[in-house]
Amino acid sequence: MSTLSEHVLEEIRELPAKYPQPRSAVMPALDLAQEEAGYLTAEAMSEVAAALKLDPGYVEGVATFYTLFHLQPIGKHRFYVCTNLSCTLRGANDIVEHVKGAIGVHEAGELSKDGLFSYEEVECLGACEYAPVMRLDHRYEKDLTNQKIDSLIAQRRNPIPSPPRGEGQGEGRKPAAPPRRRTKKSG
Amino acid sequence: MAEQRGTVGGPVLTEWFATKDLHKLDVYESLGGYSAARKVFKEMTAAQVIDEVKGSGLRGRGGADFPTATKWSFVPKDHPGPKYIVVNADESEPGSAKDRYLMENSPHMLVEGAMIASFAIGGHQAWIYIRGEYDLPYEMLRDAIAEAHAKGYLGEHPFGTDYPMDVRLYRGHGAYICGEETALLESLEGKRAQPRSRPPFPAVKGAWGMPTAVNNVETLSTVPWIIRHGGAEYAKRGTEKAKGTRMVTVSGDVQKPGNYEIEIGVTYRHVIEELAGGPYPGRTIKVFWPGGSSAKVLPGSMLDTSTDLDGLKALGTMGGSGGIIVMDDSHCVVKAAARLLRFYAFESCGKCTPCRVGGNWAVRTYERILAGEGSQIELGILERVSDGLQNGRCLCGLGDAAGWVIESTMRHFHDEYEEHSLHNVCSVEAALVNA
Repeated sequence: MSTLSEHVLEEIRELPAKYPQPRSAVMPALDLAQEEAGYLTAEAMSEVAAALKLDPGYVEGVATFYTLFHLQPIGKHRFYVCTNLSCTLRGANDIVEHVKGAIGVHEAGELSKDGLFSYEEVECLGACEYAPVMRLDHRYEKDLTNQKIDSLIAQRRNPIPSPPRGEGQGEGRKPAAPPRRRTKKSG
Repeated sequence: MAEQRGTVGGPVLTEWFATKDLHKLDVYESLGGYSAARKVFKEMTAAQVIDEVKGSGLRGRGGADFPTATKWSFVPKDHPGPKYIVVNADESEPGSAKDRYLMENSPHMLVEGAMIASFAIGGHQAWIYIRGEYDLPYEMLRDAIAEAHAKGYLGEHPFGTDYPMDVRLYRGHGAYICGEETALLESLEGKRAQPRSRPPFPAVKGAWGMPTAVNNVETLSTVPWIIRHGGAEYAKRGTEKAKGTRMVTVSGDVQKPGNYEIEIGVTYRHVIEELAGGPYPGRTIKVFWPGGSSAKVLPGSMLDTSTDLDGLKALGTMGGSGGIIVMDDSHCVVKAAARLLRFYAFESCGKCTPCRVGGNWAVRTYERILAGEGSQIELGILERVSDGLQNGRCLCGLGDAAGWVIESTMRHFHDEYEEHSLHNVCSVEAALVNA
């Protein structure tokens, strides 16, 4: 019995034909596998390898190279919080601390008790003008504040159906800068 | 210092950005979009396209600053098999967000640019390699490509011609190194993204072993304008040798962080103080990274430096990918450098020894210094590691960039390094606490 469902495996088997060489299908295939279980198990990677006629070690080698492939359970909603320089200058470390407290975890990768949340610190997300930023559920959350984090968590704990948000198009930077935060000195 | 010719014309890339729904094909087209591709496919030869772009003086905006037309002309004309344009949309340079901004506002501009570039090298397929975190730009490009197919601009007979053209998307999965063009090609081929030894260069043996030109998002997004208005018109903008306009992202300690299109040759003072609103009241700019975290830092006293690309090279730094990171006097340079070294060490692909080992040496040394365990020895280690990462000792530019962060911050802010290493003092924090 396989870990991946037959329709996913079928989709994976069709991928190689879409590329000039079949090997390019490995990342899209791992994507599909990860989407199904939320993360990649050794079995799932072997099944991907078999479906693509590749060596399981090769597929695992690819999966372990890229940060968006997860080899451990990650929770339904993952906070990818940028702490590179531009975000750190605008308070990203405080944001990380707040996220940890709000979802009740002590370290990156740890699942919240309800299994809904986890976080990790990531490198530059390419939205430095909106620092501090994070990626959550395939969207960027910008100009983060503790209040914004709280409301994002609350919405996910008690979801209410909402229309898809439009963003990005023709969007200009508002002249007003977000309130300034500093890492507080203790002691 | 290069002459500054001032603003001679309006914006190029952001010309239509105030228009609502620019991401939709009919809106883009109503303003003149796809007229350049139509002209190229119906009326021009590949050589004419390359000449026009050559006349514009356009240089690559991904960081390497290489003349675009020259890069295209390296792709062999008589190659019998497929040839590819690969679009580097893996924007990951700390401080740089301009490619995301361009794709989110005007995805068709990139699609059109990729079509024209493909035509110029005699290729029929362009691959946009976009970083995995860019969900929204990916979706917008996917929709734009579908629209272009539906309209017949992509497919077997673009604009009624017999020149088949397709633009495809490939998603990255989180690795800074994929911004390096040969690592990107490896990734596109379904491998671990480790840079290749050169030669052979991608123009000869690139994606899937075929001749390939790898171009940045902003570079290709500029091309339709050049075709519409002529290379000579574009060349009126900018400095004598570094022509045109470019996007910059200003981030960090400024009041109006954002993406701005500037004419090359304006000063950093203009960009940081006029466009980005300058520092917060009561603060002064201590240091800035003029072109992404990989560009050697310049101290705040050099704000009058021109954005001229050649002038920056003469100063030993670069305009890079246009990511201007500004830091004011309330932040510590040693801590900032330590953070960036953590980044370079983490993102090292591990293929070449100086980068794999050097980055971690630097990180551990910074950790000792910031833990109050520094000494003259640590400063010596940083200097040696910095040297060991530079000057062609690494397979690609990632190692050099890591070395430049150490070298340039130590050169301009040696006092802060000595305070931390020898006396375990951070005068920046002390000032904040006492304020």
